[in-house]
Amino acid sequence: MSNVLLQLNNWYAGYGDVDVLNNLHFTVKEGEIVALVGSNGAGKTTLLRSLSRTLKGRGDITFAGRSLYDETPEKVFESGLVQVPEGRLLFDQMSVHENLLMGAYRRQGKAAIDASLERVYGLFPKLYERRQQRSGSMSGGEQQMCAMGRALMANPKLLLVDEMSLGLAPVIVDQLLEILSTIRNEGITVLLVEQDIYAALEIADRGYVMVTGAITQSGSADELRNDPHIREAYLGL
Amino acid sequence: MKRLLPLLLIIILGVLTALPWIAGPTLVQFAINALMLATLAQGWNIIGGFAGYASFGNSIFFGLGSYGVAIAMVQWNLPFGVGLVIGVVFSVLFALAMGVPVLRLRGHYFAIATLALSQVMSAIFSNLDIAGRNIGLVLPLLRSDTLFYELSLGLLVIATLTVFWLSRSRFGFGLIAIRENEDAAQSMGVNTTRYKVLAFTLAGIFSSLAGGIHAYWITFIDPNSAFDLSLNVKMIIMAVFGGPGSVLGPVIGAALLSAISELLSSTLSSVASLFFGVVIVIAVILMPKGLTDCWLRFPVTGWRYFIHNIRQHRL
Repeated sequence: MSNVLLQLNNWYAGYGDVDVLNNLHFTVKEGEIVALVGSNGAGKTTLLRSLSRTLKGRGDITFAGRSLYDETPEKVFESGLVQVPEGRLLFDQMSVHENLLMGAYRRQGKAAIDASLERVYGLFPKLYERRQQRSGSMSGGEQQMCAMGRALMANPKLLLVDEMSLGLAPVIVDQLLEILSTIRNEGITVLLVEQDIYAALEIADRGYVMVTGAITQSGSADELRNDPHIREAYLGL
Repeated sequence: MKRLLPLLLIIILGVLTALPWIAGPTLVQFAINALMLATLAQGWNIIGGFAGYASFGNSIFFGLGSYGVAIAMVQWNLPFGVGLVIGVVFSVLFALAMGVPVLRLRGHYFAIATLALSQVMSAIFSNLDIAGRNIGLVLPLLRSDTLFYELSLGLLVIATLTVFWLSRSRFGFGLIAIRENEDAAQSMGVNTTRYKVLAFTLAGIFSSLAGGIHAYWITFIDPNSAFDLSLNVKMIIMAVFGGPGSVLGPVIGAALLSAISELLSSTLSSVASLFFGVVIVIAVILMPKGLTDCWLRFPVTGWRYFIHNIRQHRL
């Protein structure tokens, strides 16, 4: 429970000469759900791109005890750091089933992949009902389920969920959050990146608040939820 | 039907192999051309149909293959086979060197960049002494249509088997993922750059071999005919007409369109290209996913197939 899974230390990253992230420190422990919240332009996406190694950056980055600094995005993915990307990025013309298989693209062994499929269909019965349907023709919530299922097919150690709630009805968001809790109980660590601070803190153990490229506050979800500054700035209470 | 298809293909292949001994010289010459176009369409299918990158640079590989054979045979007195290898080496080097920067571009930008590259190559070869500058090169004459026919047929079979393998391989699945959503493919651990460059290279190898065989058959090449853009347009039309991303679509498309084009130009020569254009416009409107898709879906949906497609175009 207390092993550090992902750690960023003295992390700087940006585009061209401009650093968006300045001296960032960030930790995710095994088995946690961590929420990373911040408004538009806070640097959440830059941080995620640093983690997936599609953006170079400077500093220390370790995942599961290994430095990721010189790894390619494919190797990062293979080592178990898997994204559920913002906007879902499904293969619209492919069926739900094919989308899920794409998640297992870098895995070998049919038996293990079939077992994962069964697990994902167990978590999302709706996906099983629609497994032959073109993924692009489904509703937003179902598409988000498909994106989550696809990521799970990669056998992740850490699931990076980017802006999951975007454009979805609150009821659906609650369902998805519940599923994330279930996933965590099965031993997968979750990093939830959200603008919707309220939704994120509902299930998270800990949270980080990001403002203009720096982490301004961190603590347990309860602490953050009750913090007067956050209540004022983000929740409008 | 599924079980009959391999048998049917073997019979067709047998008849095609025997064609030079049963058909007249005009038909064999037409067939050599059609086989070459089918190979080019199949090559384009790999990068355009599977990976979804509409390349206008495939005629460059055709030209490099042609010049590989011509330079080897005329300037260096090397045998034809060595010339083919030289052409392929040129093409692979070109695909690797140009593929990395050009394949970073997407959609129209990729198409325009490859379009420009083929003009650049034509200009470069017009100024090379070894390639005979503007005048081109005349190759030694070999009067054996049968040999060129069988070579072309063999190449098409290899290209089609490669695409068949591709359609069932992890590599091919990765290319389809790139076509469907490149960002998603990358986030699922597909090494998109490597895959695209490999697909471009593979397409280049087949186009180059087709160019090499064609050059020796025609016995004369110059920069304009070697790097002919209209050839690239033809391979795209044939692949798209037949069914991009399918195994047999480009071959069927090339065979049908070659035949239609040949019949039209022999019966009503002056308006032939107009008719050819009309055939293509109608085909694109009625069956945008190509003949193969139409063949599979028409029995299920009937005439609604065409109505649905017309509606999709919002005509």
